[in-house]
Amino acid sequence: MTEQNPSQNPADAPVDPLFTHPASPFLRTEAPAPVSFDSPPHRAPTPPIYSTWVMYRTQIEFGLTLLAYLMVLVGSITVLKANPDADWRYYVAVLPLVPAAVVIWLFLRTLSRLDELHRRIHLQAFGFSLGGTALLTFGYGFLEGVGLPQLSWTYILPLIAVLWGIGVGIFTWRYR
Amino acid sequence: MKNRLRVLRAELAWSQADLAERLGVSRQTVNAIETGKYDPSLPLAFSLARTFKRQIEEIFEAESRRA
Repeated sequence: MTEQNPSQNPADAPVDPLFTHPASPFLRTEAPAPVSFDSPPHRAPTPPIYSTWVMYRTQIEFGLTLLAYLMVLVGSITVLKANPDADWRYYVAVLPLVPAAVVIWLFLRTLSRLDELHRRIHLQAFGFSLGGTALLTFGYGFLEGVGLPQLSWTYILPLIAVLWGIGVGIFTWRYR
Repeated sequence: MKNRLRVLRAELAWSQADLAERLGVSRQTVNAIETGKYDPSLPLAFSLARTFKRQIEEIFEAESRRA
């Protein structure tokens, strides 16, 4: 057992006056203890999912609709050749217009989704296509007058499409 | 019309594709604006200003007209 000295009572200990220990460059001060936080759970970076459908949806839709158009066209021609005098031949003859209308709807939807630069490119390409088609059809019309064979009107739409594609290429290249 | 798009984009270390994604346009459109081959519409110019947190005048500079 130890006997307590009343002089060591903390209440009786002398109190240091303020500024007893002035700041000294030799006095080492302790840095605050670092506070640790849990690291976020490690997750392997997941690559974005670019499926064929997402990346090429428009092209796939165009391709499938054009395929449907060709199939209906070939079927329509086959049926009409087998039944040249049927009463319903007019309905069968215009049947390919149904997938063709879907193609036009897809085309307009694609145009509405373009950004402003590409809309301008397509507008210029349409102008190029319209002007080119007008010149070629007028020119060939004059040549038909002097003996060249008469061509079907169905050549006009492919001509417009081809010139439109050329126009898109030209005006896209101009903005590169 | 001159613009500081390339400089502002470089300050943020964004690629043309990054900026295009933020603006909702194609990368080719961003490139055409940067090279001065295409002047953006007013809505797109405002989108650019908001993206870079600047005034439109700080990004685009109208070329001085010849008297």
